[in-house]
Amino acid sequence: MTARQDAAPPVIETRGLAKRYRRVTALTDCTITVPEGRISALIGANGAGKTTLLRMLAGLARPSDGDVTVLGGTPRQDPAFLAGIGFLAQEIPLYRRLSAGDHIAVGAHLNPRWDAASVRERLSSLNIPLDQAVGTLSGGQRAQVALSLTLAKRPRLLLLDEPVAALDPLARRQFLATLAEAVAAGGLTVVLSSHLVADIERVCDHLILLAAGRVQLCGDIDTVLADHQVLVGPRKDTTAIQKAHTLVQATHTARQSTLLIRVGGPVIDPAWEAADVGFEELVLAYLSQPGPGPGAPPAIAHLTTVGEDQ
Amino acid sequence: MTWLVWRQHRHQASLAAAALAAFAVLLLVTGRQMASQYQSAHAACAASHTCGNLANSLSLGSPVLFLLVTLTLLVPCLLGVFWGGPLVARELETGTSQFAWTQSITRRRWLTAKVGWALLAAAAWGGAVSALVTWWSSPVNALNQQSFTPGQFDTQGIVPAGYALFAVALGITAGALLRRTLPALAITVGVFAALRIVITAYVRPHYMSARTILYKFGDLRPRPTGSYWVISRGVVGPGGHALSGQPQGVSDVSGVARQSIAINGVPVSNMPSACRALVFQGPIKAISCLTAHGYRASITYQPASRYWAFQSIETGIFVALAAALIAVTVLVVLRRDA
Repeated sequence: MTARQDAAPPVIETRGLAKRYRRVTALTDCTITVPEGRISALIGANGAGKTTLLRMLAGLARPSDGDVTVLGGTPRQDPAFLAGIGFLAQEIPLYRRLSAGDHIAVGAHLNPRWDAASVRERLSSLNIPLDQAVGTLSGGQRAQVALSLTLAKRPRLLLLDEPVAALDPLARRQFLATLAEAVAAGGLTVVLSSHLVADIERVCDHLILLAAGRVQLCGDIDTVLADHQVLVGPRKDTTAIQKAHTLVQATHTARQSTLLIRVGGPVIDPAWEAADVGFEELVLAYLSQPGPGPGAPPAIAHLTTVGEDQ
Repeated sequence: MTWLVWRQHRHQASLAAAALAAFAVLLLVTGRQMASQYQSAHAACAASHTCGNLANSLSLGSPVLFLLVTLTLLVPCLLGVFWGGPLVARELETGTSQFAWTQSITRRRWLTAKVGWALLAAAAWGGAVSALVTWWSSPVNALNQQSFTPGQFDTQGIVPAGYALFAVALGITAGALLRRTLPALAITVGVFAALRIVITAYVRPHYMSARTILYKFGDLRPRPTGSYWVISRGVVGPGGHALSGQPQGVSDVSGVARQSIAINGVPVSNMPSACRALVFQGPIKAISCLTAHGYRASITYQPASRYWAFQSIETGIFVALAAALIAVTVLVVLRRDA
């Protein structure tokens, strides 16, 4: 892969990670790497395994198979490991009868590094009362409280499961700005799952795309975009293209074909007109892909097949 | 962690403390009245040497109070339902366990603090209620001599604290396994009630092997003394073998219909022919005949002196079960996914 060279060891590294529940397989053969300092977008359709992956990274769920290394160790019930990660679950769990101020005090009792001042400041700037039971706050306000608490832990890795889903557009922008600032200050890596492609494009520089319980894409967004091209040409057989490249998506009209390919080498056939692919277009193409059947290799494996005959 | 536990449960704790205080005031006031009533009655009967009949002539307390005190039987179960059941289940149900388990503390520490305080509170509360009831009941116990009776035995002494520990542990474990509060509460009530009934009816009489004494029909003197616990009464034949498990009083008339009349628990068909002939001349003659032939009434009982041994054994059983349940909870919480 043509990823940037990173001196520091990756913050997240998994190999062949899998999670099976009694009847369903939530995640299979998940191999990803997230270098330090990235804001990584975890994208996938509902049920693609995003939450499962985040929970395994946070040590809340045990993998059924495979290896996972987070911050240089296996996720485990250990204060030193837990101090390094910040996790926010999708349902934004807080103690409903406790106030935001109570939660700040809880965090101070349970964490070695705790930035109570930053939470107070952030919440008062958002006009969120500190002395009111969080159960009486609006969904957006609760999300802000939970996010602020997660940040106050001063983690090295933030794992956020759809953190902006409950926020209005303005609060969303504020939150993402806070996130970007925190990462810019150094020492923080973020993985956030989201459906909001526009938001992701604005703040994220890394992408993990899950579909059908497998990793379809993992890498820096620039690199991933550079690896793909849109080909437009007369409608014809795509067998030759598929030999050299990985066909992600093909749309045909009566006379014309549009192909989204993962580039396996130069496109030689002059009949095809090549263009760069947009982020949203790419994401949607992968998400609308039919799930690979059992035994089908993940898309990543095709990177090595560089075809000669066009 | 203790701060969080206190902050989460302080309302419950104050409510429980208020209820306990009200109960204490009620029992202290009425208990003092009963104690002085009993003392003056006892002094009066001692002067006239009629204390043997005191239980028949003196009635202590009001029926409502006795009902209330008997209802403290439910205290352990209520503690299990309100403190035990939701303790882990509600956190799993609402997802707050994910908040707690991603702070910089281990699940073990989280669980230790929560379970530790819950058990401590249960033992303290169960113990306090029982201490009050025990003190309040002391004149009643002295009067009626029925310490082993269900409703007395299991609301006094140390067993209520053992029940409370068990009920809360049961609630916690059911919640950790089922991960939902309401089903955990239902299981807690069901299992607790079933176990209490089974132990009371089938296990408790056998904690220590019961004693049996034989005595002549109509003889009152050699009975055991104090608050002894009658396991069974019966009749023993000349060979020393029990004739029937029928209680003595049930030498009933309805037996006529079944062609088996019994005198003092001895079926007519089992009697020596000499005595059988006397049956229709009146029971007194038949009974003295039976006595002459070596028939004796028997009473199988647990002596009053074993009261605390029984209390300790029963408490031990429930505390051991509570410990086993907590061990299961620890395994489940540490091993299973959040």
